[in-house]
Order: sequence, then C-alpha cells, then structure tokens
Amino acid sequence: MLAIPAVVLMMTAQVAREAHAQAPGPSLVDVQAVYLFDFAKFVRWPEADHGALTICVAGPKVYTDTLTRLVKGEQINSRPLAVRAVQTPEDEADCAIVFIENAAKDHTDGLLAATAGKPVLTVSDIPGFLDHGGMIQFLVIDKRVRFSVDLRPAVHSGIGLSSELLKVAVNVSGKDASGGGR
Amino acid sequence: MNLRQNESLAARLTRMNLLVSGAVLLIAALAFFSYDLLSFQQILIRNIEAEAQIVGANSISAVMFNDQESATTTLRSLEQSPDVQGAVLTSSDGTVFARLGTLDQGDISAHVLGAHENDRAWPSGTQVVVAHRVMFQGKTVGIVTISARLREIGHRARQYLLIAFLILLFCMAAALAISSTSRRLIAEPIIGLADTALTVSREKDYSVRAEIPADGSEIGVLVDAFNTMLTQIQERDAALGEARAELEARVEERTAELRTANRELEAFSYTVAHDLRGPLDAITGIAFLLAQSWDSTDELKAHVMLNQLTTSTGNMSSLIDNLLNFARASTTPLKLAPVNLSSIARQIAAELAASDPTRKVEFMIKDTPETPADEGLMRIVLDNLLRNSWKYSSHHEHACIEFSAKRDANKLVYFVRDDGAGFDPGRMGQLFEPFHRLHGKSDFPGTGIGLATVQRIIARQGGAIWAEGAVEKGATFYFTLG
Repeated sequence: MLAIPAVVLMMTAQVAREAHAQAPGPSLVDVQAVYLFDFAKFVRWPEADHGALTICVAGPKVYTDTLTRLVKGEQINSRPLAVRAVQTPEDEADCAIVFIENAAKDHTDGLLAATAGKPVLTVSDIPGFLDHGGMIQFLVIDKRVRFSVDLRPAVHSGIGLSSELLKVAVNVSGKDASGGGR
Repeated sequence: MNLRQNESLAARLTRMNLLVSGAVLLIAALAFFSYDLLSFQQILIRNIEAEAQIVGANSISAVMFNDQESATTTLRSLEQSPDVQGAVLTSSDGTVFARLGTLDQGDISAHVLGAHENDRAWPSGTQVVVAHRVMFQGKTVGIVTISARLREIGHRARQYLLIAFLILLFCMAAALAISSTSRRLIAEPIIGLADTALTVSREKDYSVRAEIPADGSEIGVLVDAFNTMLTQIQERDAALGEARAELEARVEERTAELRTANRELEAFSYTVAHDLRGPLDAITGIAFLLAQSWDSTDELKAHVMLNQLTTSTGNMSSLIDNLLNFARASTTPLKLAPVNLSSIARQIAAELAASDPTRKVEFMIKDTPETPADEGLMRIVLDNLLRNSWKYSSHHEHACIEFSAKRDANKLVYFVRDDGAGFDPGRMGQLFEPFHRLHGKSDFPGTGIGLATVQRIIARQGGAIWAEGAVEKGATFYFTLG
C-alpha cells in the first residue's frame, strides 16, 4: 500500500524534489496544494480566457505560499498560473478556482454565494461543503487524501469536469444534471 | 553397361535439379518467412504498445489523485488481451503503483526507458516486454510496462513450416518432372553418342552415326564432330584399302611379267641350244665327210663341202650376233643424241644391194627430220626391218622397199614398207614374240629374234611399234620414238 507521500512524489519531478527536501514528508497542505493544481488540468472553463489562471485561497497563508511555490513557472493549456489570497467575496472577481480552507469556514456561504453561476471551481476541505453548494470536497480516507464531487453547481456555472477526474472521485453526486456519468 | 551409364547420368541430372531447386526454395522461403515473421512481430509489438498507450492514458488521473483501485481496474482491461501475461504501472520515481498478472520487480528493472525515450519494446523470441511513458501536460506521470507472449508468432511460424514443407514437396515433384525433360535434352544425346562410340570401338564399324539433337546446342556440335571424325576414318580406311588393292594388283602384274620373262628365257635357252646345234651338226658332218674322203674326193667336191662349211659357220655367227643384239637391246645404257635415221637406212640399203647384185630391188628412202635416239640401237632396228623387207621380197622378181615418216596426231611415225610376202594379220600377236616365225625356215631363213629385238629397243626409248600387212601383199612396220 502506498502512503500519502508516495502520491505526492509521483506528481512531478519538481514536486518530488520539494517533497524530498521537506522532512519527514509532505503535509496535508502539500497534498491538497498539489491536488488543487492538478484539478486545474481536468477542468474546462467555458470562456477561452488566455489570461492567467488564478487560484484563490481563503485560508492560512501556508496554503498560499505552498501553492505559489508549486505553480511557479507552470502553465496549463498555455495559461500561466497565479495564486492569490482572498478574504471577502468581493475579492473573487478574477478567480478560476476558489479554495476555502477550514479556517475560513464561517465565510463559506458568502464566498459560495458570490461565485454562484460564475465559472469558478469551488474546492474545500470543510465537511458538508457539497451540501452548501460546493463542487469538490477533500476527504481523508485511510490516511489518504481523496475527494468527492457534486456536478450540479459545476453544470450550473458552466464548468466542465473531465470524466478522468470523476473516475477517481470517491463519490460523484448530481450526475443527472451533467447528463453524463457512469 | 549402357543401362547403368544411362541411369547414372540421368540420376545425376535429377539430383542436381533437386539440389538446386531445393536450395533456392529453402533460401527464398527462409528469407520470406524471416521477413514476414519479423514484420508480424513488429505488428504484434505495436498492438501491445497501443494497449500500453491506452492503459497509460486511462491511468493518468488515477496516478495523479492517488487512486490505486482505479489504476488496477484500468490495468485489468488488459486481461481481455490473450497475449498479455502481466502489466505494471510504475510511478515516475520507479515505485510500483498498480500491477496485473506475473511481472516481478526484476522484469521491471531489466526494462527501463531511457531519459528521453517514450516507448520501447524488448522482443526475445516469442516474448516481448513493452514500456510506455505516460505523459500528461508535458510531464511524466508514470510508466506502463507490459509483458506479453507472442503466441501468434509461434503459430504462424508453424504454419510457415508446414507451407514450406508442402511447397518443397511440390517443387521436388516438379523438379523430377523437369529432369525427365532435361534428360531428353541433355542426357539422351550424350548417351546416344556414348553408345555409338562403344559400337565403333567394339565392332570396328565406322559406318554408324550418332543422331544429332535438333536443338543446336554444344552437344549437337560434339555429336557432329564425332560423326565427321567417323567419316574421315572411313575415308582413310577406303583410301588405305584402295592403295593395298593397287599394290597387290601391281605385285600380281609383276609376278605375271616375271613368269612370262622366265618362260621366255626358258624358251630362249632351248631355242638357242637347238638352233646353235643345227649349224654345228652340219659343220661336224661336213668336216667328217671331208676328212674321210680327203684322198678319194676330187678337188671340186671338196670345194663345195668347204663352201657349205663356210655357210654353216656364217649362219652360226649371224645367230650369235643376233643373240648379242637381242641381249644388248635390253641391257646397254641408252645414249640419246640427234640421229638421222634416213642416212642410216641408206647405208644399210647400200650394203643389202651390194650383197646380192642379181636382185632387182628399188629402195625409196625419204629424208626424215633428225630425232633424239641411241644411234647404235637405231642401226640395229633399221637393219632388222630393212633386212626383213629385203628377205621377204626375195621371191618377187621386182621389189620396192620404202623408208619414210609421216605426221599422225602430232607425232612423227616412221615406217618401212615392202611389197613382199607379207604376213597373216590373224597372227599379228606372235609377230614380235622371240623365236616365233610366221614363215617356214625353208621359205625364208631367219632366227626369229629380229623383231623381238626391234620391239625391245623401241620400247626402251619410250616408243611403240606395230605392223600392217596381208599374205603376198607386202608388210609395213610403223614405229614412233619418245
């Protein structure tokens, strides 16, 4: 059986190098940061926006720092990546992904309400996030970071999630809304 | 022996055909099958590679989001492929993420992609290991390694072996059929030639000929040359036979001549002995009578006897002279020089006229051109011919003896003609034989050796002699010289 660090290690050579540098191993933050980065690769935004793909973080600074380090110099579909911290829903104007950490739990509804109907992928590790209208929620199962997906808000906001992504999701709800599924 | 040769040559041709066609076929089949199996192997490997690519593409998210179950499910799709024995999905750092079937760590570490390689196959016989680098967004996600057994290759190779064997069988049969043709084209003319050669050497029969094949090949040339050789041998044999026959005929001729000469010599010896005895008896008798009646006989009688004695010795002397001439005619070396035959004839005529002045004989001797001849021998010839004419015309009161020459067919023909007793033309053949006389000794005295001598002399000088005449109508003797 593979441990979480192994998952992180296989991501990219760069990530692997960083992971090795951090003893004793990548933390939950690291794994979640990598997942956030990788989600971007399996998401299709409706507008052909050639500007920067911005990942907004509502949470501790360590997430922002980790992500910033991770996406440095990276591109997805020829779009450069950017990381920014958000505090209020008003900050979310140009976000492609919004990550709401447990620490920003209280702002969840506000943040979600601000992005509702807009092409913004919402991710969080707050339990019950999907019930509040979130799209992806991190889970920890058998000490491994996994995630569940609710397609309804994604379909509503015009975001396409790759079947490859759904394939590895622990649970996918609202398949009827997407018109697809297994 | 013929049969054995026949079989050996034909069998050799057949064997050669089989060997060549078999070797060619084997090499061609080997090359073709090797190429085909190689490309077939490439196709199979490419199929495996394609499967590796599909599996790799389907495993991207599973690897990225650490979902081993999903990855294993994806790998399990390879179970549908009967050739795949095992598969491993390795993460980019080399640790195994998911596995299927039998593929251990040793297999994986033995087949590692190079830093810039994306796909690679390690075929070994009917086994192959294929590795595929799974890329996503320009980065290596992991490596799919598949071990497969190319059963189709073995299956196909066995099929090819069977096909090659069948084709080989078919070609052997075809080669056998073709060899019978080549046997007709090559072996049979040679065998025919060999048979002919055997017949020739065994039976010494050079009239046989080998049959020339119609295809105009070198064998035809060989057979033709052989036949020509036989023809030449035959011609040489015939020439040799002719020469031998001619030689034998000449020997027979010579033998007959020798026999004739021997008979002539015997007759000659007998005649000489007999003829010499006649005058000798007369001399002995007269001498005896003279001695007995020396006293009583008167002088006149004695005178007559002495005359008879002289005549007998004269006869004997002339016989001996003639014999000497005859011998000389054969043995004296020829001394050829221009000779005037007319002047010799005149001298002889004068001698004859002087020997009996009582006879009335007219000599008509014409001038003839000088001719190369032996004067001594020609004198004997003319003396004999003119003396014969003189002698055989002695019973006629008037006689005419002629010597002349005439041109006949560009050749000078001399002749001596008289109007005397002539001869019986039916006995012409005996005329020139020694000691054969056509007239009785009592009518005309002679030795019978004169004309034989004349003929020998003329023959020795390359000439010919012949005669014309009839009884009491005279005789003409013609001769040529050279």
